Amino acid sequence: MTTDHLIPARRQFLRNGTLGIGSLALSHLLQEEVKASATSKTYVMPHAPKAKRVIFLHMVGGPSQMDTFDPKPALDKWDGKSLPSELTRGQKFAFITPEARAIKSPYKFAPRGESGLVMSELFPNLARVADDLTLIRSMQTNEINHGSGELFLHTGHGRLGRPTFGAWASYGLGTENEDLPSYVVLKDQHPNAGPAAWSSGFLPSKHQGVQFRTGTKPLFYLDNPAGVSRSQRGDVIDTIGKLNSLAFNRYHDPEIQTRIAQYELAYRMQTSVPELADLKGEPDHILKLYGLDGTGPGGDFAKNCLLARRLVERGVRFVQVFNKGWDHHQSIYTALPRSAQKVDQACAALLTDLKRRGLLDDTLVIWGGEFGRTPMVQEHNAGSGAKTPPGRDHHKECFSILMAGGGVKGGVTYGKTDEFGFGVAENPVHVHDFHATCLHLLGIDHEQLTHRHQGRDFRLTDVHGHVVRDILL
Amino acid sequence: MKSSILTVTYALSAIAVGLAAETQTVDFSRDIRPILSSRCFNCHGPDGASRKAGLRLDHRDNAIELEAIVPGDPELSYLIERIITNDPDDRMPPKGAPLSAEEIETFRAWIDTGAHYEQHWAYVKPDRPKPPKIKPVDWHQSNPIDHFIQRRLTEHGLQPSPPAEPAVLIRRLSLDLIGLPPTIEAVAAFERDPSEVNYEAFIEHLLDSPKFGEKWALHWLDLARYADSNGYQHDDLRSMWPYRDWVIRALNADLPFDQFTIEQLAGDLLPNPTREQLIATGFHRNVPTNFSGGTKVEEVRANVLHDRVSTTGQVWLGMTMECCQCHDHKFDPIPQTDYYQLYAYFNQAVPEVAQKGKAMFKKLFVGADLPVVASPEDGARVMEIIEQMTLEKAALEKAKPWALAEQPGWEKEFLASGRGESIPWERFPWNLRGGYQMLKIPAEKRSDNEKRNVEALLFYDHPFTGPYEKALDMLKDTRDTLAPRTMIMKDQEDYVPTNLFIRGDYTSPGAPMKPGVPSVLHPLDPEYPMNRLGLAQWLVDAENPLTARVTVNRFWAEIFGQGIVSTPEDFGYQSPHPTHPDLLDWLALEFVEGGWSMKQLIKTIVMSSTYRQTAAVSSAKIAKDPSNQWLGRGPRFRLPAELIRDNLLAISGQLSDKFGGPAVYPPQPAGLWKEISGADDTFYPTSDGEDRHRRGLYTFLRRGNPNPMVLNFDGSNRSACVTKRDRSNTPVQALNLLNDPIYVDAAREFEAWIERVPGNDQTRVISAFRRALARRPSQSEVAALIAIYQKHGNWFSVAQVLLNLDETITKS
Repeated sequence: MTTDHLIPARRQFLRNGTLGIGSLALSHLLQEEVKASATSKTYVMPHAPKAKRVIFLHMVGGPSQMDTFDPKPALDKWDGKSLPSELTRGQKFAFITPEARAIKSPYKFAPRGESGLVMSELFPNLARVADDLTLIRSMQTNEINHGSGELFLHTGHGRLGRPTFGAWASYGLGTENEDLPSYVVLKDQHPNAGPAAWSSGFLPSKHQGVQFRTGTKPLFYLDNPAGVSRSQRGDVIDTIGKLNSLAFNRYHDPEIQTRIAQYELAYRMQTSVPELADLKGEPDHILKLYGLDGTGPGGDFAKNCLLARRLVERGVRFVQVFNKGWDHHQSIYTALPRSAQKVDQACAALLTDLKRRGLLDDTLVIWGGEFGRTPMVQEHNAGSGAKTPPGRDHHKECFSILMAGGGVKGGVTYGKTDEFGFGVAENPVHVHDFHATCLHLLGIDHEQLTHRHQGRDFRLTDVHGHVVRDILL
Repeated sequence: MKSSILTVTYALSAIAVGLAAETQTVDFSRDIRPILSSRCFNCHGPDGASRKAGLRLDHRDNAIELEAIVPGDPELSYLIERIITNDPDDRMPPKGAPLSAEEIETFRAWIDTGAHYEQHWAYVKPDRPKPPKIKPVDWHQSNPIDHFIQRRLTEHGLQPSPPAEPAVLIRRLSLDLIGLPPTIEAVAAFERDPSEVNYEAFIEHLLDSPKFGEKWALHWLDLARYADSNGYQHDDLRSMWPYRDWVIRALNADLPFDQFTIEQLAGDLLPNPTREQLIATGFHRNVPTNFSGGTKVEEVRANVLHDRVSTTGQVWLGMTMECCQCHDHKFDPIPQTDYYQLYAYFNQAVPEVAQKGKAMFKKLFVGADLPVVASPEDGARVMEIIEQMTLEKAALEKAKPWALAEQPGWEKEFLASGRGESIPWERFPWNLRGGYQMLKIPAEKRSDNEKRNVEALLFYDHPFTGPYEKALDMLKDTRDTLAPRTMIMKDQEDYVPTNLFIRGDYTSPGAPMKPGVPSVLHPLDPEYPMNRLGLAQWLVDAENPLTARVTVNRFWAEIFGQGIVSTPEDFGYQSPHPTHPDLLDWLALEFVEGGWSMKQLIKTIVMSSTYRQTAAVSSAKIAKDPSNQWLGRGPRFRLPAELIRDNLLAISGQLSDKFGGPAVYPPQPAGLWKEISGADDTFYPTSDGEDRHRRGLYTFLRRGNPNPMVLNFDGSNRSACVTKRDRSNTPVQALNLLNDPIYVDAAREFEAWIERVPGNDQTRVISAFRRALARRPSQSEVAALIAIYQKHGNWFSVAQVLLNLDETITKS
């Protein structure tokens, strides 16, 4: 499948371009468009999309499901005892042994909202939007390490080299705003997998996630060199365009036309991107909502949530937000609540804000980590073996994620884990199924969105994946 | 290549480009197998596990036995019945669109004439094709390549284009051979005498330049997934630059490709290998390696070995074998057992990483390595250091009993002192602070290991021995900086048994496997050893139908922008048919018979008229062949990231011509290394002086967060073998070249250069233009540049414009 996303790009330039393209070039561009649309296959949606865009809030490290969204009262009884060996035998763990003792959750769970969605006391703000959430308690993955687990969550494969979900979305659906990248990455810290977590893999590299850094200079190289004014820069771009047009008259290579357009777009981005990233223009009540007025925890994650809204509002297809700090090998008593407190208000604010603007209906918001954590305790340092406050180890057999908006039901809980929270008891949702479902919401049949590489048609879901229809509106 | 052309005729619309209907014969390889492979083999192909109804359409006998095919009678063949039916429950293929009317007609014609199968062209040894006799188009006939090209052009109703103007041609040649623009003097000399003799002399001059290897190494380093760090979490640094320099030197020396292959895959197994041959084996040590704590050692090993099999398959065989980790290949005739036979060759290698202690944050590297120095001076310095270390060690040994005599008192004093807080624990073999705890165990209860560890701490801290230990640490640091250890391949002494992994899972071993080669290809010569050396010899064996074809195809793609087979990593059933199969074979045989000389291969290609054509053609001509697959015009495409850098710095006059050595750290945005998760190396040591302006292939490549310019221009983070880079065209690239301090600085230098040009504004503009683009500017081009100079009153804007032109970053 090939899609020529430059077609709308060219139209956009012709409409918005502040700098001139010669009339000859213009007619050529139009011809190119006609030709391209006649020869390129574009992705034909098998069904109407419910979601037009995605915000994926990745809680890097793997939140503990037993302490957040999956209550396990049975662990109260098993606290301090080893789990039945038939359950743990042969399982891979990162740092603990299968005989490690179970540990109960110190947190209280209660039904929230009209729907009665059950979650722990760690998320008082998310509790208020419970009726907008689909909670999946039966997620499963293949990996027990952060780097490979993150890759699996984003690419459906545990090793380097595959395209990420966002890249597939950009590849399949293109962009709604040619003045911005279709796939933007926001983070407080790098995830463990680094840029591989927003790579385009073997897809064309224009579909890789573009990192927006916090602050008013989100992209590298946005500023003119010292002493160069905006109008001088305009002259330079204009002259580059003139000479490139003359080169076009020699070579007639359409790439030259694209280059002219991209320089003009770069010029516009020098003002549009800082404006977009500047949160000062947001009214006080919005800053307060996200906790950015000094009353809430604030921080980069809250800023990134607000920026994510501004990005989807402007037509960015996929916003990937990373929040690091969920790898609680140590202390589910003190460290875990701090992590939850850092994100709770901003996550709820994002949903509320999107909803008020009518954007939640067609924006899919996802919250979750790359895997879950063990019902068993880890109380030693992985390096020295020294004793540490009780935490939990990595766990791939089950974990919980949240979804909201974009065509998923609200106030719904899907899937069940066993009494210990060790394995899935009902309705497993493997990461491949999760991908299939998200693509479905975007109007894409996960088996049809393919790219030929190394002699075969690759897809996000490899050779797996089932759409979880029960959570769809 | 042989192909039994059948004699039936039919209308083949797929090939028709501007032709209404062409009379063609059915060619199984070209017309039938691609459809079978992409639409049928998934359920009726080589993979036994997913086969439906026991039917194999990849085996003629089976297909006939089950009456899917009745040779000579399409209407009795179930295959036809099932592809033409309108009943959606019966129709084949069950998924996706039905076959088109043309495809159905092709099948009918094929069955009608006997349904002959033939071996896939790529698995059959090439025969030397005769260049076709074609009525010459006056100038377009200088070597056999042009005959093959012109026949296809004629078939497609196209004409070749005239030669490019001398200045443009010489720039193209220079970019292709050394990756740098020609000097104005070289351009002027060739313009004065653009004769055949002079053209060839210029080629020879470029092939002899040490910069030749720097240009062509770039491409090979993508295949070798060369990088300066491990990848994954932590992303520790590694010293593989000696391997990179080996590649450059081997290319400059025109090491024949068969030897180039053998040394990289198995240099360590050659009799009495030289240091250079050992360094060459870094090829397969370049693989990314995961050191994060929770990862299982066996898992890391399996991943590393899978990468080696997959990379070897792509680079030499054009075979994509990744899917055979788990099951038989769905399309190509590669059973899972073939895959694990290849795996067995690599499984003999020593492990890459090991776990020390019960659980650690990080694994340790345990593979073989070799110390190397960048210069003779460094070598002499290292020898001095080693002597000094011997002296310090002797003194330390003498002092140890004195320290041991004071151990009980020292233990108490040490625990009370709080000095434990400032001990660099990472220097001790047991790592981290665990060692501290051992002091609290009563001396008589300590295990032997614990005793040793406590003594190590004593020697480090006690005033009798500590100064020697610390001096040794410093000397060792200096030694390792001057003589880093580069990784090389090594096999284990004892035979390492290999088992197939059921469903690719390293924890589910299946049948035992011995080293062996893919069964669809030529057999192993029994004389070859049963190790990597035997595999390497088999790859470059005269019987191998793939290696030479795959290799010449990549060289062709580097020069023309796309291969004769457009998927350089895949020559299997699913690969697009070669645009010029006979040319591919001709080049492959020339290559092998010419002694596998890479320089000669390049020379043959660039001596052709096909190569010398102009790229300046009309829109109408481009419309007839937008991707230039028939080569009726010269190649024109954007340079790769590293060469854009090299060119802009060459134009500004800043480019250093220093050769080789450790990777360098040109300025990049602050903090990128700090972003890497779990990294110990977070400080980016920005280079000073000349090292800021070295060629792009010397820039430090940190997998976890590479230099942004490399990624902006489609470079790879080298996490896996890359056979073909994209050539995107984005606004971020524009911002990069306009505002990156490196290129702003280059524009300032170029500005200063322009100011020094004697003469008036017009001559300055022309000189600057020629320096950037080699050719002379037109009147309008000069006028536009003078206009902005006059408006801004400085040459900086002119310099920026010239460094940012499409033509400047493009091979035209």
